[in-house]
Amino acid sequence: MQRQPSRLELLQGTLELIILRTLLAGPAHGHAIAKHIQRTSEDLLQVETGSLYPALHRLEAKGWVAASWEKSDKGKRARCYRLTALGRRQLAAEHSKWEAFSRAMGLILKPAAQEEGR
Amino acid sequence: MRPFLRKLGWLIRRRDKEAELSEELQFHLDEEADERRAEGLTDDEARRAARRALGNLTLVREDTRAAWGWTILEQLGQDVRYALRTMAANRLFTVLIVLSLGLGIGANTAIYSFVDAILLRSLPVTDPESLVVLNWHAKGERVPVMRSMSGSTWGDSSAGTTAGVFPFPVFELLRTKETVFSSVFAHFRYWQTRSVNVTIGGEADLAGGWHVSGGYFGGLGVRPAAGRLIGDSDDKPGAPAVAVVSYAFSQRRFGGPAGAAGASILIDNLPFTVVGVTPPGFFGADPAANPDVYLPLHALEYLGAGKQFGFDPSAYGAEHYYWIQIMGRLRPGVTRAQAQAALAPVFHQWVAGTATNDRERANLPALVVTDGAGGLESLRRRYSEPLYVLLALVGLILALACANVANLLLARASARRREMAVRLSIGAGRSRIVRQLLTESVLLALLGGAVGVLVALWGMRFLTLLLANGRPDFTLHAVMNWRVLGVAAALSVATGVLFGLAPALQATRVDLGSALKAARTDRFRPMIRLHRVRPAHLLVAFQIAVAMIIVVAAGLFVRTLSNLQSIELGFDRHNVLLFQVDASKAGRTDPEVVSFYRDLRDRLRDVPGVRDVSLSEDSLINAGTGLPLTLDGERLQVGDHILNVGPEFFRTMQIPVLAGRDFRDADRRGSPAVAVVNEAFAKAVFGRRNPLGRHIVLWEGDKPARDMTIVGVCGNARYGSLTREFAPVVYMPYDQGYPRPGQMVFALRTQGDPLAYVGAVREIVRRTDPRVPVAEVRTQVADINRTINQEITFARLCSAFAVLALVIACVGLYGAVSYNVARRTGEIGIRMALGAQRGGVVRMVLREVLALAAVGLAAGLAVALASSRFVASFLYGLTPNDPVALALAAAILMAAVLAAGYAPARRASRIDPVTALRAE
Repeated sequence: MQRQPSRLELLQGTLELIILRTLLAGPAHGHAIAKHIQRTSEDLLQVETGSLYPALHRLEAKGWVAASWEKSDKGKRARCYRLTALGRRQLAAEHSKWEAFSRAMGLILKPAAQEEGR
Repeated sequence: MRPFLRKLGWLIRRRDKEAELSEELQFHLDEEADERRAEGLTDDEARRAARRALGNLTLVREDTRAAWGWTILEQLGQDVRYALRTMAANRLFTVLIVLSLGLGIGANTAIYSFVDAILLRSLPVTDPESLVVLNWHAKGERVPVMRSMSGSTWGDSSAGTTAGVFPFPVFELLRTKETVFSSVFAHFRYWQTRSVNVTIGGEADLAGGWHVSGGYFGGLGVRPAAGRLIGDSDDKPGAPAVAVVSYAFSQRRFGGPAGAAGASILIDNLPFTVVGVTPPGFFGADPAANPDVYLPLHALEYLGAGKQFGFDPSAYGAEHYYWIQIMGRLRPGVTRAQAQAALAPVFHQWVAGTATNDRERANLPALVVTDGAGGLESLRRRYSEPLYVLLALVGLILALACANVANLLLARASARRREMAVRLSIGAGRSRIVRQLLTESVLLALLGGAVGVLVALWGMRFLTLLLANGRPDFTLHAVMNWRVLGVAAALSVATGVLFGLAPALQATRVDLGSALKAARTDRFRPMIRLHRVRPAHLLVAFQIAVAMIIVVAAGLFVRTLSNLQSIELGFDRHNVLLFQVDASKAGRTDPEVVSFYRDLRDRLRDVPGVRDVSLSEDSLINAGTGLPLTLDGERLQVGDHILNVGPEFFRTMQIPVLAGRDFRDADRRGSPAVAVVNEAFAKAVFGRRNPLGRHIVLWEGDKPARDMTIVGVCGNARYGSLTREFAPVVYMPYDQGYPRPGQMVFALRTQGDPLAYVGAVREIVRRTDPRVPVAEVRTQVADINRTINQEITFARLCSAFAVLALVIACVGLYGAVSYNVARRTGEIGIRMALGAQRGGVVRMVLREVLALAAVGLAAGLAVALASSRFVASFLYGLTPNDPVALALAAAILMAAVLAAGYAPARRASRIDPVTALRAE
């Protein structure tokens, strides 16, 4: 199957980190999470819905998020996800790992940018 | 753990879960469509855009379901369902595989469970590994320093003599070796108390007795089930008379261990107190014995006092009387080799000191410290060889079963090549197909294993019955050996997987185009191309060879049994009931003992249907009494075989009286002493002279006890053994003085089935004297069969194995030939279209079958010829390569092979050329 090319390819495993971060703001259903990711990344990241739901269910299986059926704003039944304590710990761990990673990437790439600017 | 539980929960409510997923995705689509509509799209466009944004809905569902983590399980469920459907569709195939596996696994588990119980199991005591059994070994058959003994020796002139009995002073000597042993104890069965009359609350019955030293139970580390066990204070001269009974005995006679402890009983009419009960599962230190009653060593004086041949306390000091079995527990850290090195010189020094002449000094016994974890070796000595033979046979059966499974699976895999090709071509993954085939194989093997458990349970019950055949004291109870079951099951699963998987892997590699085109004709041949020799052919030949070996073995054992059963006995074994009584152990003294027997015989003669009644100290086949005899002052050189018998003994047993007369009622105490000798005796002692009227004298020690006139000569009858030559025997009345009668075996010649009289006999004995128990009621036929029990067991088991092997081999052959015929439908069709006759087609197929059978038979015959000498010791009256047995086996196998091959051959000849060619 061909997937639509996203505007920015997601790095392996980052989708789960993004979902966890999104849920830090409060419980949300799948559609809202997708929209929120699009909005906060200034539309640079388009989350494929095709991979969002499997990712959510994977997180639920691991116990990092919990799901429950809630009434949405329009009064319809929606499956809402919220962060669990375990998920919160996982987010902190993943977050610091990501920061270390991006700092390292930054350090490696910075000289090249300076050289180019000269 | 928690994620696993969560997934499990989801698995259980997975229908809800599916519905929820649909709802969740539908919600997403609705939301997205709403948004698009807000952007100004029409309802239809909005909905389509939302679908586009989500992507492939089915794939999203698939991916999400994968996140639930039970795809594999679900596919397994599918595979199992599919496998069950396939198995139900090929019912014959399934039944054949499951049965072959079940029989193979079951037979092996049953036999090995016995091997384990008899040969390998440790005593159920504390730390059995540190126990040792003391034996001695000497060169040659005669050990002069042992002037008399009680117990048994084993070995022969080449292997030397081994025994486990010692003089009492050796026991006392070893007890002082505290650096080697933490405890040393003695135990043995004494011939006069091996069977004791135990009276509990007025009811008498016989029980097996066993003597133990005070340290026995403590040394073994056994805890009582009730009361206490025999200790050092009980095993002293003059100590109160105590006994310990086995758990099973306490249940049988006291209603449980609690009722036994503290009970007062009579043993051989002397008062004893039961002080305790051994734990359940404890059978003593001899796995063959399993006594009911344990008595202190020193109870011998009490029990033997005043008895004829009673125990003489001087035995404790005797240096040349070997009778005590000794066991010990090694101190922690002491090895068996160290114990051997420390004790052998001690024993040697002692025994050398007892030798009084050069003849005795020439062959002194040497101490051997053997492993005691399994107790005494008696059972192992008796059963190890037969069990290994049986083990080899069932091993062959398992090989046969595995070959059968392999054959059937191979045939089926070939038949399913097209199915595999179709499935691959419509997009099934290779690993998925392999997994599914694997599921089928494992499922079949599991079913086979389940049937195997049932067969094993049934087989063990059958084997127990077979081995116990007529032995009332048979107490060996094998328990299902799960380890063996596991090994056998694993082996068959491996076979199933190997032969299910190898063709499967190959099938999934097929060239789709040609496989689909080849349709049913199977044009490409797998693996071996050697002139149509395929693995299936090799397997069939192998099966026939193995079946041949088993059928030959069965033939040898069946012929051995028939030889044994047609041995001329010298008496008529049919319609005779035997039973044993011992009035001397029920408190009767000598004149009363005789009057009891006389009275009993008179009463039994009045039973309607009883034609003759007599009695003897032992049944003929178990006889074996020897007392010194002289003729004209010369010791007779023909052996001292005597048998004390009652009136009309020869008439009852239907032994012909060749000259003179039978014993009569009038031959009793006070009348002139008489004797009847057999033909062999007359010939050996008197030659052509007339023995009638001659005198032979029986000696009690150094004084003449009976001066007997020979009044008759009878025909030869088997004495003491079924297979030994007729020995010279002197028969004499049981109540004409020394030796005074003890136990007696009554023989009733009946009209019709002897067992129909058992109830009447028991009632009559009970009415004559309720203190005298009736024991060992059996027919004369059963009495003889007991001595050839092993041969009977072998003949029956091997016949069963042979039938099993034939069935399995024929099934394999039938399957292979049927498959071959199906594969060659097109070819046969062409032949028939070109004018081949039906008979010709049948012959063509059978020729192939016979070629396979010939190869198998030749191989089987070669192996049988080479290995039959291993069973030579189990045969009687024929050589290991008995031509009759070999020819018979070959004929039976050929007949079976033709029968198995004829059905598919006939089917081949019925092929309609038009149909066959159209299918091409």
